[in-house]
Amino acid sequence: MELLQVNDPMEPANRGMFEVNRALDNTILKPVATTYKAVAPDFVRTRISNILANLRSPVIFANDILQGEFKRAATTFLRFFINSTIGVGGMNDIASALEIEGHDEDFGQTLAVWGVEEGPFVMLPLFGPSNPRDTVGLVVDFLIDPLRMWASNTERNFVPVLRAGTDAVDIRSENLEDLDDLEKSSLDFYAAIRSLYRQRRADAISNGEGSATVPAPSLGELPGGPTLEAAEELSRR
Amino acid sequence: MLKRRGFVSALGGAVLLVLGAATPTVASSIETESSAFITALAKKAVNSLTSKDAARDQRIDRFRTMFNESFAVRSIGKFVLGRYWKKASEDERKEYLALFEDLMVVSYVDRFAEYAGESLSIKKTRGENKSTVTVFSEIERPGGARAIRINWRVGTNGTIYKILDVVVEGTSMSSTLRSDFSSIVRRNGGKVAGLIEELRTKTAELKSE
Repeated sequence: MELLQVNDPMEPANRGMFEVNRALDNTILKPVATTYKAVAPDFVRTRISNILANLRSPVIFANDILQGEFKRAATTFLRFFINSTIGVGGMNDIASALEIEGHDEDFGQTLAVWGVEEGPFVMLPLFGPSNPRDTVGLVVDFLIDPLRMWASNTERNFVPVLRAGTDAVDIRSENLEDLDDLEKSSLDFYAAIRSLYRQRRADAISNGEGSATVPAPSLGELPGGPTLEAAEELSRR
Repeated sequence: MLKRRGFVSALGGAVLLVLGAATPTVASSIETESSAFITALAKKAVNSLTSKDAARDQRIDRFRTMFNESFAVRSIGKFVLGRYWKKASEDERKEYLALFEDLMVVSYVDRFAEYAGESLSIKKTRGENKSTVTVFSEIERPGGARAIRINWRVGTNGTIYKILDVVVEGTSMSSTLRSDFSSIVRRNGGKVAGLIEELRTKTAELKSE
């Protein structure tokens, strides 16, 4: 039921931040992502995506372990090993070709697995839709990331910035059409984004299994058989 | 088509019974049927929605027919309106459902052919209850990009199959619409009339593209 609740006590402020983020997106991120997608061939973009995904492996591995998902942790480790070596620095996703499929995890999901509620909806500056649980997750993932630690220990502070920027362009370029479509077809884009964020998080936490308890339309069948409405629906051919 | 498949699965069931091997590991017949329903729909979508020679208007017409045949439009529309369905008058419901159908048809005409396209492959099915099945599928993308997960929630009375929801990468079409629409109703002082007005503007805008 939680998925359908609004739980957005800061809605006016969030809507304000949403407009700021949208303005930034329209002037900077979206044009860059559009150009990137138009100019860089599929081959190149896939390899950049692969490198970024591979760099995330240590954080995913840590969260797999923290969630007690040891089999998934082993998969993440194996993928990192294969793709970093044979895959040449993560450029080629050899592991997927060997049917060792990847997955994502983050500390927000780990907290959810531990039973922490998401809390109210929050629109973060730059980072976009979130909630207190996932915001803590973002910070923890940043702190435990070995690449980030190495960069700050060796005073290469441009590394995390460069990576975050590339990540943003990579993700945005993957979602250009989807977000345009959603904006075009929705009446209240903010409400649609809020719903989309919550659903995506619930999906990620369940590792894509979904759940029968998520509210969804039904044919309204009663124990005695289909209701009049269901019968009417089914006869509309 | 449906009839023949029904016969085949009845025959299969009879054979299983004779062999005494009707184990629960075998997907139930509504799961098999739901999966076949989605596969057939995908084939139909490719044939009628992707032809380059058809104008957009023509593709919209074809998709409208397909949408009404294959989707539980009224049930979805009712779910999307949520608790405001009860508050709406009979006339409002009628107009709302017509506009809802319009919005879906014009917004998804291009996307649907992609979602239910040639590269769709069914991964597994799961019976949610005795009249609902989730069909898990994926669409492959070119260039080695990660496949997109699409789950189809199918409702059935045992003979007729209708789509209740499409869940793309964990995002349910129905739930997103429900949040969107209920936000509009709330912002219009809880009145469905306000939503209908905005739907009119939106669909007119999308149609004129």
